[in-house]
Amino acid sequence: MENEEFEEKLIQMTKPEVNQLKHQDMLAKAIANAKDKTVLSLWWLIIPLYIISMLLMKSIYMPNTTLSSGIHDFAFKQRFIAFFFFIILPIIFIIINTISIRKVYILSGSPKSISYLKTVWLNVLIIFFLILILIVYTL
Amino acid sequence: MKLNWFKRKGVFFLPSSIIGWIIFLIGFAYSIYSFIEIDSRSHSVSDTLINFVFKFIIIIAVYSLIAYLTSRNTKD
Repeated sequence: MENEEFEEKLIQMTKPEVNQLKHQDMLAKAIANAKDKTVLSLWWLIIPLYIISMLLMKSIYMPNTTLSSGIHDFAFKQRFIAFFFFIILPIIFIIINTISIRKVYILSGSPKSISYLKTVWLNVLIIFFLILILIVYTL
Repeated sequence: MKLNWFKRKGVFFLPSSIIGWIIFLIGFAYSIYSFIEIDSRSHSVSDTLINFVFKFIIIIAVYSLIAYLTSRNTKD
């Protein structure tokens, strides 16, 4: 008897049923996690940006040097550090931030409006800077 | 595993337990030690600041990584 009732329930079920409160809780947690990841990315992002700004200053104040030559020189002298901060780190944080943006997007019900961007604008900005670091290093 | 060593306030992770405070104080003490050590072998104020700021950012980045992994929200 119990099995039949359960079977009927399964047949009637069309999609996973999550009540409204549970869904809001999941969304709030996803947003909080996205913000935590943003803060973590922000602090790690400052390191390559600091190196780039130092090399930029060097290229401005020292004659016959450019940012590109400065980065190549730095990459030659500090091979492991340069590879870690300019390739591995940006790729890891781009993936992490993209996943958290996607998670918030799905839990928000795939909104089409710009108001959604207000929630994840810092993640988007960080991804932009990380791509910029990758471009500057690979040029 | 739930760890509540830190909680996030804005862009900072603040300690919320004794272990959190110990980690924070270790980071703080190491920053001061680094400053004194760099200052002792540098030739000018800018030389000290350029080298110290880089090391200080790395200390904060490592601290934020530890804090992120042991903070309240991430492990829920």
